[in-house]
Amino acid sequence: MLAASAEEEFSEELLLKPLPDRKILAHFHFRNEAPLAADSFARHHHLFPKSISQLVQKFHIKAMELSFTQGRWNYERWGGFDPISSHNAKPPGVELWAVFDVPQHQVDASWKNLTHSLSGLFCASINFLESSTSYSAPEWAFQSALGSLRYGTLPREAVCTENLTPWLKLLPCRDKAGLSSLMDRPSIYRSFYHSQRLHLIMPTAVSDGSKSGIILEQTLTVVLQPNNQKASMNHVGETKIQPSWSLSSIFGRKISGRCVLAKLSNIYLHFERGLVTQLDNLQKKSSKFAANDTGLTWKHPVVWSSSHAPLYASRFLMGSGNERGAIAISLKSTEMTKGLVSANNVEERCKLQVNVLQIVPWYVKVYYHTLQLLVDERPQVLADFVERMRVSPSEDKVSPGVMELVLQFPCEMKSAVLSIEFDKGFLHIDEYPPDANQGFDIPSAIISFPDFHAGLQFCEKSQSKSPLLSKLQERSPVLSYTEVLLVPLTTPDFSMPYNVITITCTVFALYFGSLLNVLRRRVGEEERLLKNKDAKKAVFLRRMLNKLSAKLRGRPSESTPSPPSSSSSPFVSPKLILRVLMVAGIAVAWQYYSQ
Amino acid sequence: MAEISDSPTTSKPVEENTQTQTLELDTKTTRNTKPGVKRLINSVTVLFSFILGFPLLWKSIEIYRAPLPFDRIDSFSSQIESKPFSFPCHFQAIFIGFDFKASNADVGAAIARRMSDLSRGGDCGGGNAYSVVVVNGEGEVRSVVGKYRHAWIVGRVGAEEAVGRVAEVFVRVFVNGGDEESSVRSEFMPVGADGRIVLSFSLLNADPRDWIYDWDFREMDETLLRPVIEALQPIANITVESQVLYHTPKSSFSYWDDEHGSHIFRTEDLPFFVNSNEWHLDTSVAAGGRYIPSAKECPLQLELPNGEISKTNGFISPMWGGVVVWNPQSCIKDLESKDPVRHMISPQDLQKLFEVLMGQLRQLLGLKSDNLYVGQSGTSILLGSERGFTEWELDVLSRKHICFNLHSCATTLGSLSRLVQSLPRMIIMEEIGKQVKYSLEAAKFAQSNASIGIYDASAVSSRQSRSLAEDAFFHPSIMSISYYSFEHCFAIYSPFFLPVTMHVLLAALREWKRYKQENRKYLASKAKEKVS
Repeated sequence: MLAASAEEEFSEELLLKPLPDRKILAHFHFRNEAPLAADSFARHHHLFPKSISQLVQKFHIKAMELSFTQGRWNYERWGGFDPISSHNAKPPGVELWAVFDVPQHQVDASWKNLTHSLSGLFCASINFLESSTSYSAPEWAFQSALGSLRYGTLPREAVCTENLTPWLKLLPCRDKAGLSSLMDRPSIYRSFYHSQRLHLIMPTAVSDGSKSGIILEQTLTVVLQPNNQKASMNHVGETKIQPSWSLSSIFGRKISGRCVLAKLSNIYLHFERGLVTQLDNLQKKSSKFAANDTGLTWKHPVVWSSSHAPLYASRFLMGSGNERGAIAISLKSTEMTKGLVSANNVEERCKLQVNVLQIVPWYVKVYYHTLQLLVDERPQVLADFVERMRVSPSEDKVSPGVMELVLQFPCEMKSAVLSIEFDKGFLHIDEYPPDANQGFDIPSAIISFPDFHAGLQFCEKSQSKSPLLSKLQERSPVLSYTEVLLVPLTTPDFSMPYNVITITCTVFALYFGSLLNVLRRRVGEEERLLKNKDAKKAVFLRRMLNKLSAKLRGRPSESTPSPPSSSSSPFVSPKLILRVLMVAGIAVAWQYYSQ
Repeated sequence: MAEISDSPTTSKPVEENTQTQTLELDTKTTRNTKPGVKRLINSVTVLFSFILGFPLLWKSIEIYRAPLPFDRIDSFSSQIESKPFSFPCHFQAIFIGFDFKASNADVGAAIARRMSDLSRGGDCGGGNAYSVVVVNGEGEVRSVVGKYRHAWIVGRVGAEEAVGRVAEVFVRVFVNGGDEESSVRSEFMPVGADGRIVLSFSLLNADPRDWIYDWDFREMDETLLRPVIEALQPIANITVESQVLYHTPKSSFSYWDDEHGSHIFRTEDLPFFVNSNEWHLDTSVAAGGRYIPSAKECPLQLELPNGEISKTNGFISPMWGGVVVWNPQSCIKDLESKDPVRHMISPQDLQKLFEVLMGQLRQLLGLKSDNLYVGQSGTSILLGSERGFTEWELDVLSRKHICFNLHSCATTLGSLSRLVQSLPRMIIMEEIGKQVKYSLEAAKFAQSNASIGIYDASAVSSRQSRSLAEDAFFHPSIMSISYYSFEHCFAIYSPFFLPVTMHVLLAALREWKRYKQENRKYLASKAKEKVS
């Protein structure tokens, strides 16, 4: 790590790398360095952004990384073993971790304040990381910063220009000049993957171990598709030819000039060493370097593949229904482990160490005893492979569940699957986010390989002065993120409380009304009235029966009880008919209007 | 029930029918027993218990509103607005070489009379005594106001004139700070609620491709600003920040003027000078910006309304602070070297700029930026202090600070009380009530302390009252709680109360009607009986 100098320094660099699947990786790297003088830090600055330095001073941040990502890094095609993929391939949404230089009991308070400040600074909802259910303190996944590290992700955060603009404001030239003027918003947000990152480091001086300065690294990693359809359309054979591109064709803008404040502004092209030597042999490499518009034209089909991480990790959900399920993390060996086996088979058994960090929100209730391991599709005893394990179970509405595993696999292993079962919990009606039916995200698991170090070696011409190249040469553990999982939880009918209130009130009202009626009832009087009515009804009934029997016998109806009928019929029929008519009318009207 | 079901099976329905009809006819018109009141009492009791229960229900759905002292807030703000505060003043006038016929008391009374004539709305006085020494001597009359709380008037001066001058120095200079428009400015004082001022200085390079200028602000901070900060310590905690910004063009155009040989920016365009999109300055603090024009518009001068060129080349923009345009020595761009050279602004230039910035700071705080006071009875020279602020000026500032704090406390509390009264169903936490109470108490304390001349305590409690009032106004519960509306309440309770109330009301009404009817029948039959 470079020692900080006494001056504030800024450098801008861009790395361009053609990817095997005809895409282009553009990696912008801005580095801003300031000395950590006690009297003027966070007060007087020339190049370093004042807001960041004040943040560092206020919350005593030792190191911090914030990333905004959209899309998923394709580890299979774009590589998983180079420094770019292990540093700049980030989980979708927002990821934030920070190490604080404060006593243990103040770390949480500092974290909360930091999330609020960052959310204001970057126009993002980072403040949702404030609640203790959304962050945790992992111990082994990152560089050892015991206790004072906090880690949180927001997988669903949508990343847009409003996050990029404040990020650009931290650069001295913003996007007015220099490499950052290439950042055409439509082409960046049209890309397959883009990750905007802000990394704060405080390098410690070698001599006395005290902090000498602060380095702010801002990187933007974009995977773009150069758009020339001609080559691929014309000939089937030519589809293998990498598309030709130039900076202006992939970004839609040209560099107007370097940022005059930068100590260094460089553009690099990155090829595999084998490819370069091959190209040198063939003497067919044809790259043109215009003054400000770097481009690459391919004449011959070239195929290569990216280097992969030792194991290819993916994660998926198992089970169905709204009650329970299981998370499975599958690790598949890549050609790299095969190489290891062949290299090491003479010695004693070679081991492959894998660290897994899995954070689950509390409403996914994981049963840690159900953790199962299948190696080469055969169930195995967990204790044989797990070297260390740290589990902190989730606490309802307080903290998420964290599982950290250090696994040792034999190198000749083909595949391994870790599975763990869970129950889906219920949330309080207030706790559901908007659009709860979409499902809930389980943040990415982090799989790291501490024995492997991603560091590039450059041949003779490499300048050690360049921060980007020295960053790429730095040996750092290989790290990869798995997919974000979407768990559908049972979502209640959100009008339910009102329905319950309404039905309860109706039942109460019915009960109350009938009780009141019973209290008011006069049994004796009703009886009398009823007797009267029944008597009348009996006469009517008999007459009707007579009529009916007469009809059945085929005789004309006898007019035997003529006097009562004449007296009773006007008493009953008009009212009855009127009522029937009214009911029928209402029914017809109802039918008519309801249609 | 058995009887009812039995009844239709009687053998002689016709006879029975006629019998009951006659009986019914009888009961329809007459009644021999007194009508019972049991059911009436039942239903009326239920109705009454409902009516009695209603206030209980109302109480239960009531939201918590901490009682706020609205009348006290109103009286406090009206008091602040109507009569400005009076601070006690101790003035000393020392006359040397005068031969007054009148007694000392009479001279004092004359000065006081003149002073009350001069002070419209009479502002505040000081904690320590102010003194004016009048020396009757030879030569032209000269009036000098010193660094501490003294002034001298030397020269051939008549007794009457001396009294007038003394009164004017007391009122206009010592009390009002020598600034005529002080009453307008006193509204604005860039002090935060916690009594902190952040002085943020930004160096703005319009186009770094032409040239880059940098400064060593740390040195300037240590050598030049430190005494000022120490001087202002009693009024506010001051922190100083600086930054250099690049690619910051101004947002309006200037024109070339051959006569001056420079680009001219007119006063009426000044509101468009500050480019809020590109200038990432801190807001809400007293900021000082220094603008370095690009090569295209290099000698950039500001033109005053009268056509002259501004000497300071600076201006104050409300809410942004002071801006000074600083032109590089030579405006010719160095074309040979591709990279622009980084220049450092020399300490001499910095010193010069600092003087302008200091004047702007004084103006922002509501003081005069030059050292001459032109009054009705002649001009006075105001001696400057090497610390930037003289003692009597600091007195003025702290008085203004107290006034400003109490003013803003009164307006904040006033708007809080208006807000609370306009939303009758907003929840008000106990904490807000407490904060309002304490704020009022602190304000009262500040007022009483100020009126007996205890300055520091008054400043502290006025600051406290202001910050408490702001805390109450910006309490998170006021911001976030969607208030429990009456419609919501109605929607929840109506499915129960609507049908039940109908039942209860109808029952009571029916029973009452029936009772009246039956009673009438009973009375009628009784009368009939009597007649028969």
